[in-house]
Amino acid sequence: MTAVAPTHSFTRTHRAPVHRIGATVRIHVANPWTTLISPWLILLVVFGLNFAIWHLVLMAAGDRGVEADAFHYNGGVSWIVFYMVVVAVQAMNQTFSFVVGLGATRRDYFVGTSALFAGLALMYGIGVSVLAGVERATSGWGVNGWFFAPGPFATMPLWEVAVTYTLVLLFMFFVGSGVAAVFVRWGATGILTFFASVAVLLLATLWAITQADAWASVGHFFTARSPLELALLSLPLSLVGGLVGYGLMRRATPKG
Amino acid sequence: MTAVIEVAGLTRHYGKVHAVEDVTFEVEENTICGLLGRNGAGKTTLMRLLTGQAFASAGQIRVFGESPVENALVLSRTCFIRETQVYPDSFRGKHALRAAERLFPNWDADYAAQLATEFNLPLDRRIKKMSRGQRSAVGAIIGLAARAELTFFDEPYAGLDAVARELFYSHLLEDYSKHPRTIVLSTHLIDEAAKLLEHVIVIDGGRVIINDNSDALRGTAVTLVGAKSAVDTFAVGREVLGTDVLGGISSVTVAGLSPADKAAAAAAGLEVAPVSLQQLIVSRTRGTVQPQEALS
Amino acid sequence: MDEGRPIFVQIAEQLESQIIDGSMPPESQVPSINELAAFHRINPATALKGVNMLVEAGILYKRRGIGMFVAEGARERLIAARRDAFSDQYVRPLVAHANAIGITPTQLAAMIRKEAGS
Repeated sequence: MTAVAPTHSFTRTHRAPVHRIGATVRIHVANPWTTLISPWLILLVVFGLNFAIWHLVLMAAGDRGVEADAFHYNGGVSWIVFYMVVVAVQAMNQTFSFVVGLGATRRDYFVGTSALFAGLALMYGIGVSVLAGVERATSGWGVNGWFFAPGPFATMPLWEVAVTYTLVLLFMFFVGSGVAAVFVRWGATGILTFFASVAVLLLATLWAITQADAWASVGHFFTARSPLELALLSLPLSLVGGLVGYGLMRRATPKG
Repeated sequence: MTAVIEVAGLTRHYGKVHAVEDVTFEVEENTICGLLGRNGAGKTTLMRLLTGQAFASAGQIRVFGESPVENALVLSRTCFIRETQVYPDSFRGKHALRAAERLFPNWDADYAAQLATEFNLPLDRRIKKMSRGQRSAVGAIIGLAARAELTFFDEPYAGLDAVARELFYSHLLEDYSKHPRTIVLSTHLIDEAAKLLEHVIVIDGGRVIINDNSDALRGTAVTLVGAKSAVDTFAVGREVLGTDVLGGISSVTVAGLSPADKAAAAAAGLEVAPVSLQQLIVSRTRGTVQPQEALS
Repeated sequence: MDEGRPIFVQIAEQLESQIIDGSMPPESQVPSINELAAFHRINPATALKGVNMLVEAGILYKRRGIGMFVAEGARERLIAARRDAFSDQYVRPLVAHANAIGITPTQLAAMIRKEAGS
């Protein structure tokens, strides 16, 4: 194999590289449905359903009324949290081949997409905490129903609610993008292998915990910490997820 | 002349499949270069390697003097439009053009709009719902309006009818004349594009088998038609590219005839018929099995 | 555009014919490279080759920044060159074809005179 010596140098000085980071962000939101609109819609629909159910229960209870904390524990808001994984997977899947195919570097795409995820996590985190504020101001939407800041969240200051949600959403985004990166790199076979491995790991972990009779400690680990502390623990995991995703992306070939 | 693309010993294996094998060539600045060959010969893989989108197994690539892999400096001056361009599901035609505007520093929005009108492209329609021809038109428009210094077109006209293809060629030529840049065009519709190509590289089975100026290439072969014995005598010791026999008449395509040889053939009563670029390339590439174009 | 000869040669020949028939008189401007390329739908480099061939032969000359022009005496030079080639290009095949079907040179000459006279 002969080495190629450049026949002349193309001067760098007058050519600044064009970084397609901003372009990546704008392409993600070019059609805002997936990233900006549908999560809100989902949230509203789930909330609306819960709201309707509360009223139905109250109607059914009639004069007997319900317990004070009947509507305090509500997992409905977790819909939007887990939906972020879907958003992340869709966003990356749709745009990776398009953006890198038209000549952006994978690094620029990754930075732009991460910036998007961080921005979305912040937006939804703040948005949910604002709604939680309204919830508190209306004493649980007039029916003592706690949807946006239920259970342990009910007593947290709103800024803490915002930060906790933001961190958790960020975690979901990077989990989603990690999964998408596996798909972009190895395709459908990769995804199957990945989920099979996760299932095996999960089972192994569950078995190990059961063997060590450690369920109590595991439970204690989670209940002893506030939601904020747990959310903060997810931050390094988000970082790792992001880096792994980037590492996978660096060797991925755009489809088409 | 400066070389915009320099490739040496480039190889890409997918397991046992040798998609690109020991390829060495240069593409000169501001020329229209044809990358020709059969389906599965390695043209698309080669272009992916040149744009840093696929990774070489061995060999060297220099685009604008540097390796193109993850190189924003090089890639921002490049545009690669492929046969099956991928777009986000939710994108309409106008979204694709707007995205291109943000990705290419030399983008000409007015030119893009003009092209969209001329190609009858419904910009408000979802790309998923467009016909094959309309989809190709989106890619062709992006490739033209991006005015990238190095533009790759990989069979950009799937589904484009003859009228649309003519439109594409004339715009390509016109814009290339007004804004000189390097264009690499891969196609299997060789005769249509032949007059546009200044240089021709033919890939067969992952290897480069022809790398020549197109004018020089034209006329390197002729077809001699006449009585079998006369034709056979003339073909002795020459490179024969193809033979057809019907009764006592033989038609033999022969390479490497000088003008004097051609005159002698005519004087011997043989018909000396020209061979088009497409016929020449077909005769040199028929009969070989192409490696599968594996998309990793 | 025929396939047998290089395109740039055909471009040059077309320009030569226009010079010979008078539609491009001396000192007139020849279409630009881009115009020629667009008209014939060919690569500008090919058009340039054809034009350069004529520049080298002294048929055209370049005025920097303006374009290509027909040289003085170009028509005469072209006609002389074509006359020299006439015998090889037209007469030899004519004689060969005539011979193949038994027409004698005398008969051929008579046919030519008749054709020219009408």
